[in-house]
Amino acid sequence: MLTMHPTLLVGPADWDAARLPKDEFLARIAAFWSGCDPSIGSVVIYGSPRDHAELAYLTHFTPKLEPAIALILRAGEPRLLVGGGANMIGAAKPLTFVETLLPLRDAGQTIARWAHELGSGGLALINGGAMRFGLRQEIVAALGTSPSDVTAVVAAVMRRKSMREIALVRDACASLAAALAAMREAHQAGRGMTDVVLAGEQAAWRRGAQDVRSLFGRDGGLAPFTVPIAEPADPLQVYVAVRHGGYWAEGFAGLSRAAVPVLRAAQAILDKAIGLARPGAPHRDLARMLADQVPINRSLPVTHKHAGHSIGLALQEAGGLDAASDERFAAGEVYTVRVGLRDDSSAAIVSAMIAITQDASDVLWRGDGT
Amino acid sequence: MTFDERLKAICARMHDRNLDLLLAVHDGAHFIETPNPVTVLTGFKSLGPSVCLLDRAGAMTLIVAPVWDAERARTACPGAQVDAADDVITALRMMLPKTGRLAIGTAGLAVAPFRLAARIMELVPNAVPADDVVFDAAAAKTDDEIAWAREATRIAELNYQHLLAIARPGMSEDELAVELRWHSKSLGAEDNFLLLCAGPHNRAVAPSNGRRICDGDIILAEITPSFRGQLAQICRTVVVGRAPDLLKQKYELVVRSMNAGIAAAVPGARMADVCGAINAVLEAQGYGEYCYPPHIRRRGHGLGFASIRPGDVALDNDTVLAPGMVFMIHPNQYLPETGYLLCGEPVVMGETHAEPLTRRQATLAELG
Repeated sequence: MLTMHPTLLVGPADWDAARLPKDEFLARIAAFWSGCDPSIGSVVIYGSPRDHAELAYLTHFTPKLEPAIALILRAGEPRLLVGGGANMIGAAKPLTFVETLLPLRDAGQTIARWAHELGSGGLALINGGAMRFGLRQEIVAALGTSPSDVTAVVAAVMRRKSMREIALVRDACASLAAALAAMREAHQAGRGMTDVVLAGEQAAWRRGAQDVRSLFGRDGGLAPFTVPIAEPADPLQVYVAVRHGGYWAEGFAGLSRAAVPVLRAAQAILDKAIGLARPGAPHRDLARMLADQVPINRSLPVTHKHAGHSIGLALQEAGGLDAASDERFAAGEVYTVRVGLRDDSSAAIVSAMIAITQDASDVLWRGDGT
Repeated sequence: MTFDERLKAICARMHDRNLDLLLAVHDGAHFIETPNPVTVLTGFKSLGPSVCLLDRAGAMTLIVAPVWDAERARTACPGAQVDAADDVITALRMMLPKTGRLAIGTAGLAVAPFRLAARIMELVPNAVPADDVVFDAAAAKTDDEIAWAREATRIAELNYQHLLAIARPGMSEDELAVELRWHSKSLGAEDNFLLLCAGPHNRAVAPSNGRRICDGDIILAEITPSFRGQLAQICRTVVVGRAPDLLKQKYELVVRSMNAGIAAAVPGARMADVCGAINAVLEAQGYGEYCYPPHIRRRGHGLGFASIRPGDVALDNDTVLAPGMVFMIHPNQYLPETGYLLCGEPVVMGETHAEPLTRRQATLAELG
């Protein structure tokens, strides 16, 4: 889901070696190299506050303020360039296991110097598409050529989560559940729309969330917070995304003080969808089942053609659950699955977070509605 | 100035530049220092990538992602034709005129992500950069934006009072930052650029991390709420415990330099003059070497998200100040005896002088 991106990331992002030891990162780097073209000897990984899942995967670093660039070699210690000048290095150090941190200046020249130092081994980019156009041009000019992009290689490795990663996703799900419980309580108390949302956000932050995003609206529509809305809404559709220890969980819930038939119908379809998520099963089977169960005149814009996707260090990873997909579920992957449905009088979106296991799927969180 | 008057000014600049069409792009990452031409043209703050087409006659088309955000965009931009698509560039391809040789100017392309900008370059290879057409017209804020800046400042000051009420030794910088961010949202701010850190001798203000606040620390906070997309900032310094006399003296010096900058900000003066006035106070006290990088690179800046004109309060900024401009004046000085000290106020340029938007000017605060 797209949410309103905040201007600065403020939540806790320090590297916790007890939860994710350095060995975990070394194993990730090794897995990446084993899937990479052998002619490539080093990769430059770009990450911005908005778009840094690959950088976080390989270095744990979350760029809170300005972009960062890492250099990872087939052999040798990684290096990390952080934005904001030399005086920002101290604040950045607790966020990564990487020991060599340098200020990010003259990125094009720095990368060209790296390439020169490395000699014959090819240099490739990860997440180069997220670079500012001007920066990318600067790098290409400094190198004299456009480096190949190997983002897909790391993206494929990232899809299969380790046990430690699944544990962090579970933490995120617990904070998501706490957020929605607080929203439900505030809604039951008759509070205004944005007060309900704020109650949920506060609950997640107080559980140590790294980031919290929300959307809300009536009749299945969703919008971000812009100004306070004192007016209550019943039913109220909410969406919350919570990041914990780097990993996202997201969920939809329809809050209502009365029974909403369409909510129960949506939940029944969601159960069927979860049943189709098992190792080896095609994504398209799930998407097509949803298309059959939710005809276009009963669908909602938020979920129409968007039944879910892989989720992890990015709120939306590659691996969308759509009818044209050739991909299949695999053990270790984590997905968010959604169903949106309307009837003559109301609308609802429900969702679940699931982890694909060796023989089925494990529900990490499931919206129960009210 | 009203929003419509600004749009007319932009169209007039297009005419002067012989541009038939303006193509503005933004990726939806709303960073304080990255101007957003789509928001300048439409007033809309998008969730995802967005593109705005404006012709010389003022006809406007807005393309937003995702599809489901269309209704919000239509409500925000009743005068524009609004289209929504999951891929705004594919939608743009359909919208661009198929025939004729139009002179097209672009805005926002250099700072857009490569994957977005490269596709636009393919669509309009002969387009020329025209960021100045959009942003020069937005150097002064509209009446609404000034009102929103005042409200954002009010929220910032309340947010600072909350900081003084809750900050305590043992709390991590991150815990304090997220609580303040949530609190400002509860006051009506849709975002907050909240740069906060603490230490006994800070080298700079940096994003929060897990460090726990200690007795004797100096907390630095750039509190920057956004109200309806308009940012305002206050820069404050708080001592955990009693402030030593030396620190009080140095903070008074920094405040004095800020007031010299505010006094120098008059219509017709250059931003460089404001910076020079601040530097002069500090240089007179023997801190000349600390008035330049790596200790300081600017003494303030414009306030977006839409336009960040008139730019930095810096010696190399010759922008001439004019009524309606809103910007920060913050000495934010590193001093060898005390470390980095934050002190800054948002101002709006009036007909005769710069008016601070804050009700209470920065003073050195003590906790406990």
